Amino acid sequence: MIITPVTLNKQKNDFTIIDIRSSDEIGKFPLVGLNTISSPYGNKINIGGQKVLVCQYGIVTEGIIIEKNIKDAYSLLGGAQAWIEFYNDNEDLSRWARQTVLPEIGIEGQKKLLESKVSIIGMGGLGCPAAQSLVTAGIGNIKLIDNDEISLSNLHRQPLYSIEDVGEEKVVVAKSKLENLNPEVNIEIDNSFFDNENCEELLSNTDVIIDATDNIKSRQNIDQASKKFNIPMIYGGLFRFEGQVATLNVNGSPGYKELFPDPQSKEEDSCVEAGVLGMLPGIIGNIQALEAVKLIVGINKNLIGKLLIYDAMNHDTQVIEL
Amino acid sequence: MIFIKVKCFSQVKYALGVDELTFQLDEDSTSNDLENIIRKKAGPKLNNISLRIAINQKYLIEETILQDGDEVVFIPPVQGG
Repeated sequence: MIITPVTLNKQKNDFTIIDIRSSDEIGKFPLVGLNTISSPYGNKINIGGQKVLVCQYGIVTEGIIIEKNIKDAYSLLGGAQAWIEFYNDNEDLSRWARQTVLPEIGIEGQKKLLESKVSIIGMGGLGCPAAQSLVTAGIGNIKLIDNDEISLSNLHRQPLYSIEDVGEEKVVVAKSKLENLNPEVNIEIDNSFFDNENCEELLSNTDVIIDATDNIKSRQNIDQASKKFNIPMIYGGLFRFEGQVATLNVNGSPGYKELFPDPQSKEEDSCVEAGVLGMLPGIIGNIQALEAVKLIVGINKNLIGKLLIYDAMNHDTQVIEL
Repeated sequence: MIFIKVKCFSQVKYALGVDELTFQLDEDSTSNDLENIIRKKAGPKLNNISLRIAINQKYLIEETILQDGDEVVFIPPVQGG
């Protein structure tokens, strides 16, 4: 069983709180605001009554409770890290404990995600998985832009939509489904077709654009707006079993125009004509979301100035330096 | 003579029907020479499709003389999303 910092704070007098960390760790990160028993070797965790076990990140205690079958015991979700953040800033980030434990993300990275805004242009095969992952990762503000309605042939690769949604506006249904995943996210929707006329209004306050469109002209329009307003774009494209991803226009880094100065392709090479298996946009859309998170948090191993090509048939990847 | 490996992706792979090919070319052959060979081999399937070229995982800005052992990727723009 787990307990969040918010709940523990309300009910702290009902529990014995046992800190299983070493005295060294407790010294560095004290559990301010809680009356605790220290038990670095775990010899006190079997005491009677309701108790909360605390470790640094809330992972060790979850394991101990299951392994030792400790009765009436809760693990503090996110551990001391989440409690200290809650106590100091009155902000409960424990639901993201499994990603704040990553040193590359941490509490500071999570706060950046919560304060950021990502605009997703196109809520089809790439947009749906990208939006799902960004919402669950804790991006605080998301804008969904698409003028399309849901059709039956979308469902195999656009997992936000169900049979009963056919004929409804994609952005309306997507907002509703995404809010179930994380009710705290602020989701704006716009059912316009993104173009050079409305781009400034559509992208207001955006930190990162996800290009989840399905045609070259739209990608060129997004690239122009991305350059003009200095907002990075994460490009994603599909062809049958293959996908491409690049992080473009980051403080003057190459953009779509530099990637494809004079792009020519055939209509029959779109997903509609050439076909696509549903897992591929799932993979590529998630890579786009991953790159957006890395960009916002400031992780410097990324796809800036690089093009990733992924072939799902033989799992061959190429990372090309631009 | 030099040997060049071409890794095929997207429309190039579907036009040629293989994942990769090795070509034996004259010394001083260029990236454009190789593109012409690929387009000729692919026939009309690559008509009206632009291709960018990367050699040894680095995008080419301009025509370059190929070196023995180079690995070349032709990259078309892809539309799907």
